[in-house]
Amino acid sequence: MSTAPEQTPAVSVVGVSKKWAAVSAFTDVSFDVPQGEVVALLGPSGAGKSTLLRCVNHLETISAGRIYVHGDLIGYRLGDQALYELSDAEISRQRQKIGMVFQHFNLFKHMTALQNVMSGPVHVLQRPKAQATALAMDLLDKVGLKAKADAYPSELSGGQQQRVAIARALAMQPRVLLLDEPTSALDPELAQEVVETIRKLAEEGQTMLIATHDMGIARDVADRVIFMEGGRIAEDARSKDFFTAPKSDRAR
Amino acid sequence: MAMTDRLSAPELPIVHRRRWGAWLLGAVALVVVVTIVHAAIRARIVNLGVFADYIFDPLIVMGAVNALMLGTLALFIATIIGFIAALMRVSGNPILVAISATYVYLFRGTPMLIQLIFWFNAVPIMFPSITISLPFMAEPLVSTPTTSLVTPFLAALAGLSLAEGAYMSEIIRAGILAVDKGQRAAATALGMTQRQVLAQVVIPQAGRIIIPAAGNQYIMLLKSSSLASAIGYLELLRVATDIYSSNFQVVELLAVAAFWYLVMTAFATAIQTVLEKVFPQR
Repeated sequence: MSTAPEQTPAVSVVGVSKKWAAVSAFTDVSFDVPQGEVVALLGPSGAGKSTLLRCVNHLETISAGRIYVHGDLIGYRLGDQALYELSDAEISRQRQKIGMVFQHFNLFKHMTALQNVMSGPVHVLQRPKAQATALAMDLLDKVGLKAKADAYPSELSGGQQQRVAIARALAMQPRVLLLDEPTSALDPELAQEVVETIRKLAEEGQTMLIATHDMGIARDVADRVIFMEGGRIAEDARSKDFFTAPKSDRAR
Repeated sequence: MAMTDRLSAPELPIVHRRRWGAWLLGAVALVVVVTIVHAAIRARIVNLGVFADYIFDPLIVMGAVNALMLGTLALFIATIIGFIAALMRVSGNPILVAISATYVYLFRGTPMLIQLIFWFNAVPIMFPSITISLPFMAEPLVSTPTTSLVTPFLAALAGLSLAEGAYMSEIIRAGILAVDKGQRAAATALGMTQRQVLAQVVIPQAGRIIIPAAGNQYIMLLKSSSLASAIGYLELLRVATDIYSSNFQVVELLAVAAFWYLVMTAFATAIQTVLEKVFPQR
């Protein structure tokens, strides 16, 4: 199943289903993301990509199956009879190592770019302010926004906001980064600067799981494509194979 | 004139239309105001001498200070009550939601004056004496009839805080709901506990949203403190009433009281303006 059996996969999704009262988001989905791999989750709107991503850090609960991140069972404790949901504090601790980037950036509006990037280290990891500031400035520099450190989100373009959001997620030094449609809310030109940032992370070996409609990300940045349709995985292939010879009808 | 003439005409100044209607209305309004003020002055409804005599009267100033204290303390307590009630209301727990909704309905749905008089009279009946005792001691530490504790001030403070808390809970709830869900999701995804999400993201943002509405409520409360005159608390209106019932200078003393209420309102407005500057919405 795993490409590198001696290594724990960064993310392991095992037979996971998610359904609400009447509707089912996806059923019996399984895949592994090895460390350092970049996986693009493709598929039509409503295929369950975003919901699946939100299950990986337990922003959404799951209905069946198990999700592991670096070997840790996410959101639940394995009991004799059932999986018991963990406490708020325990789940929060698990989320510290799982970064997330949102379609609408979700930068904290009342904080500057710098404060946004510092918020995780300071409030979650209780790091000293000086240390967090230095780290945050480095990260802002890395996404090319050192000059905007004191700007509020409302003063930044969408592309700039998304790059700050990526820096905010990186400040927690996540083992895996989940990106939920990171370019969907941006016009092509601004999307491009975000794609470049993501590509840089990919080259550094950051493990990423990206739900996207952006073919540029799927083709040029991702190592592998998982194509979801109707709540199931329709195709799971290396990125270049997927784009040269797709097997499923819909992907074609 | 032919079209070509118009096009070839030299640079002409541009004249915008005059808003004659608006000017006319303004003039009419001004005449009405001047007529009313003139009539009031001619009728000498306020004897300015008497007004000046009482404006800095120590009793009046004390009454104004008492009103300001009562209104301000009530706002603080109401904010705490309102915050708790709002959190209960958005908790999703049906029992907490029902308790909070019932509280808001009862206390928003009855006149403040009734509530004030009610607490002043009902609490001593419900709890005739207040006893604080320590274990392993035969005699209680403190035992006193409640009527000696429920002063007009405490009854007024409790009444105003509880009534205002119902309004504040709705304002705070609206503020919490106005914080984008994505903000909470982002904070949660960073690894913040629910308490941290509340402290770092929801309260700072909701707080900014509710400042104008809370400022409004503060002004209302400062004026509602006059209701405490009904249960004998020596606030501004009560003091003014006591004075004019002996010297019959009713209009002058009401004008004096009104003046101090305006000063308080200016004070509240200034605080609101400063808060909005320090905590701007982004």
